[in-house]
Amino acid sequence: MSPDGPHGPSASNTRKIMSIDVLVPPLGQTVDTVTFVTWYKREGDTVKPGEPLFAIETDKATLDVESPAGGILRGITAQAGDAVKALSVIATITGPKEELVPKPATAGSSRVQETARNIHSAPVSPPPAQRIFISPRARGLAEREGASISELRGTGPEGAIVERDVRAYLAEHARRAISPVARRLAGESGLDWERLTGTGPRGQITREDVESAIGARNAVVEPATPLPRKPAEEGVAPLENRILETIPVAGIRAVIAERMLRSAKGTAPVTLTCEVDAGALVALRASLSADGIPVTYNDLLLRVLARALQEHSRLNASLDGDKISVWARVDIGLAVDTERGLLVPVVRDVGTKGLAELAAETRSLAERARAGTLAPDELRAGTFTLTNLGMYGIDAFTPIINLPECAILGVGRIASRPAYVDGKLEERKMAWLSLTFDHRLVDGGPAARFFQRVVQLIEKPHLLLT
Amino acid sequence: MTIAQSRPVSALATAEQLAMYRKMLLLRRFEERCNFLFMQGRIPSTLHLYIGEEAVATGVCANLTNSDYVTSTHRPHGHALAKGVTPRSIMAELFAKSTGCCKGKGGSMHVGDMSVGMLPAIAIVGGGIPVAGGLALAAKMLKTKAVAVSFFGDGAANEGAFHEALNMAAIWDLPALFVCENNLYAASTPIATAFKIQDIALRASSYGMPGEIVDGNDVLAVHEAAGRAIARARSGAGPTLLECKTYRQVGHSRSDPRTYRSRDEEAEWALLDPIQRLGARLIADGEASEGSLAEIEKSVIAEIDDAVEFAEVSPSPDPADALLDVFYEEA
Amino acid sequence: MSQMSIAEALRQAIREEMRRDERVFCIGEDIGVTGGFGGAFTVTLGLSDEFGHERILDTPISELGLTGMAVGAAIGGMRPIADVQYSDFLFLALDQLANEAAKMTYMSGGTLKVPMVMRAPVGATARGAQHAQSMEAFLSHIPGLKVVAPATAYDAKGLLKSAIRDDNPVIVFEHKLLYGSKGPRTERGALSPVGEVPDEDYLVPIGKGIIRREGKDVTIIGKLLTMYRALAAAEELAKEGIDAEVIDPRTLVPLDKELILESVRKTGRLVIVEEDNLTGGWAGEVAAIVAEQAFYWLDAPIRRVSAPDTPAPFAPVMEQFYVPSVERVVQAVKALF
Repeated sequence: MSPDGPHGPSASNTRKIMSIDVLVPPLGQTVDTVTFVTWYKREGDTVKPGEPLFAIETDKATLDVESPAGGILRGITAQAGDAVKALSVIATITGPKEELVPKPATAGSSRVQETARNIHSAPVSPPPAQRIFISPRARGLAEREGASISELRGTGPEGAIVERDVRAYLAEHARRAISPVARRLAGESGLDWERLTGTGPRGQITREDVESAIGARNAVVEPATPLPRKPAEEGVAPLENRILETIPVAGIRAVIAERMLRSAKGTAPVTLTCEVDAGALVALRASLSADGIPVTYNDLLLRVLARALQEHSRLNASLDGDKISVWARVDIGLAVDTERGLLVPVVRDVGTKGLAELAAETRSLAERARAGTLAPDELRAGTFTLTNLGMYGIDAFTPIINLPECAILGVGRIASRPAYVDGKLEERKMAWLSLTFDHRLVDGGPAARFFQRVVQLIEKPHLLLT
Repeated sequence: MTIAQSRPVSALATAEQLAMYRKMLLLRRFEERCNFLFMQGRIPSTLHLYIGEEAVATGVCANLTNSDYVTSTHRPHGHALAKGVTPRSIMAELFAKSTGCCKGKGGSMHVGDMSVGMLPAIAIVGGGIPVAGGLALAAKMLKTKAVAVSFFGDGAANEGAFHEALNMAAIWDLPALFVCENNLYAASTPIATAFKIQDIALRASSYGMPGEIVDGNDVLAVHEAAGRAIARARSGAGPTLLECKTYRQVGHSRSDPRTYRSRDEEAEWALLDPIQRLGARLIADGEASEGSLAEIEKSVIAEIDDAVEFAEVSPSPDPADALLDVFYEEA
Repeated sequence: MSQMSIAEALRQAIREEMRRDERVFCIGEDIGVTGGFGGAFTVTLGLSDEFGHERILDTPISELGLTGMAVGAAIGGMRPIADVQYSDFLFLALDQLANEAAKMTYMSGGTLKVPMVMRAPVGATARGAQHAQSMEAFLSHIPGLKVVAPATAYDAKGLLKSAIRDDNPVIVFEHKLLYGSKGPRTERGALSPVGEVPDEDYLVPIGKGIIRREGKDVTIIGKLLTMYRALAAAEELAKEGIDAEVIDPRTLVPLDKELILESVRKTGRLVIVEEDNLTGGWAGEVAAIVAEQAFYWLDAPIRRVSAPDTPAPFAPVMEQFYVPSVERVVQAVKALF
């Protein structure tokens, strides 16, 4: 292709040419060839001067390179993995309506000639939409991992995109999980950014995330094992840690993860706490046991909750789209810790069951939960949940609502604590209760009144007989 | 048209003759009722009616016990009733109810009941003949003294299965009886166009077994001839081919206007109706009266009414039952 | 434990079952004749010396008749092992297999059983098209029949015993080149695998396949002769860095689908090899099952390697072209990467 090209002088005479070469920067006397890593912008994108445009990698470090000018990025020639020479041209930035014109050949610059050959002589427009051939396995992987299918290149049979292509893409774009600026900041501060949660698009870790993490770290006492610091001269070496165990997020774990996240993000949770005098409850339990009816505190709490929920039915409700369903029956889920994870079997119609019946049922449910033999119907469609961490010595906590229910009661340990009774300091059995409710369904007032009633029934269980 | 000579029959007790009369009448009225119900649209089956041939099934099966086997054809109601399958269970099967002898899975052409030795009928022409041979083989190997009787029509005598089975039964002296109901037509094809010979029993000699011809409309003659052949089989002396000359008084199936044969022919055979013949003989011998035969008639009608009622009130099978019983499982 | 060929293992199975149960007997052509072959491929050789000619029952050339006899005998309380000399002859017996044996239990509402076995040798062996047919697809398509295809001596004994003890009609397909028959019945070009067979009573359950070689890159399913082709191909592929998992289904009906699906979910690629004509073959059925139930795990299209849609040719060079070769399997697998 001659320097004049098909556009010749006549085409270019009418315009002032504003295109600027995008070069691989020189990186010091010893480095001649580097590996091109990735573009941050695509062919045809508008770029701003100074914004990160591409990344290259030497044997020591990965560097982001900023755009030398503002305009439209065109004529990209470098691809991920290419070896590129310092000072070689790998793209051009043109004005908005410019066309690319090949530069006059410079003697001895074969790279320029090569580049010139590659520059499109017409405005670059996206290729017409083509069918993408991708295997189902690859497509599934891409969708789960957030890989953009249109950016994948296929190396499978007949050029189809196959699993390994998606994996290669994901490995390459793992670096996108953090913005270049944030990455640099993290590296400089010796912060292990891979453990941060990103708040940027697609969970990308932003500069702000890094800055706040650094702030949090500085505010906290240095951990016993300090984060490894790199000498300033060298680049950031990868932080290697040996994996003790890999647990797949599958089965129960995946279900719990999904539901917890959905609840945490999709509800308006408010937690009310209250300390309750559990003396009467303790005595009641002892009496029942002495008379041959062993019950757990959970069994007693179920009865209390059933009564309180019947009286404050707005707390016995679920949100379904744009309507709140207030349930007639009280079905309470009881959180059970098992080897495989947290399970919440449901006790149906608590209000109609006596303590002995409840005790037998909760015992059976807990056993079967641990054995993994619960039926699916026993794990769903509750109207309220009870979760008791007292056995672990916990006092108050912030239980997560078990969607689509309205509220959940967390119970702490019963401990001997000093309390004032009729003006005198006594040793009393006290416990903290934590009620999380979804403010979308019910307000603080009604929730608090329900909570008051619960507390009252616990402190005066004889009221259950009325 | 020729009718082979009936052999003189040995005296059979009155009670047994009356039993056979009643049985033939049951077969006749049952088939007539099926026809009626079908015309009324009350049964989904196709039907192949046995009307006119009752003496063959009755005469042969009167010699058999529940331990003996019978294989049959697409026209099995007569054989089934003669072998002891209850009218209720057959009717319920025709009504496609779950109380039918095949639980609604078989239909008219497959009625049967192993508890009385009636194999669910095989509707492939000739298909039941080697199976009967196999049942006879099993009886011989297990030394049960059981006999296997295969009923088939003139058409089946041209199927390869007929030849293979009769040959093997003869070689091994199997306790079998092959009963060819020659009703002169295979569907619409008259025997004259399907056979060079007149009498199918002639083929027996090709296999080295005895062949006998009997008047298929004389139940006593059939009973006697079949009795001898069955005794022979039971004794271990081997199989017999028994050709029963008879006539199918109705069409091949329900949708047959019978334009391939003449009304004169039908009228001639009607005179030889097996039930009328036995009835007339019983009255002539003083062993029955018009009145006693009328009583038998009433009793038969009552039995059939009961069967129809049973079928009507029986439950339909669950459609998903279609998925059951592909493979046998111990209950 | 003994080293046995498949013919010997089958014979041992028949012998043990006939000793164990008086109701078991063999019925077929040339199976018991004193001084005879012991069936077309020596499987029944010598059995009539022990069990007599009434339990090793020779028949005239009457495939339809003998099959019907077996059906009747089975209904009547015996447990017959029928056989045809070449699976091609099953076409003659098909009425009794398809209309009677397969359907009697169903049509009777489950009140009777047909506990019979039909053994048939498959495979092209330079005898021409009418002695070479693979019949697996035809018989697998008939509801009411079970179909097995043992490819090793261990499976031959275990599966035949299971078939004999099953209360349903079971078709046992054997491959002529795998028997290991000796003497005048030696097959040229036979594979004749010899394997360890326990001397004691054991069963291989009907309905369970087996993984012959574990791998992670591709699943290759082969039956009878083509199972060995698949294994040989796996060796070749391993040299090129492709790690193949080879499955031998052992039973065709009922098929061990879960074994296959689990494998495909792991590897993402499937090649099915069979010595049968391509169109309407068993491989198509397996491909459909996987496409329906493991579609989203597939990384490449499913491939079948079958014989072309022609009758089996006589000339050995053409027969080698016809029967799927190791090379064709290797090429089919490589095209998936």
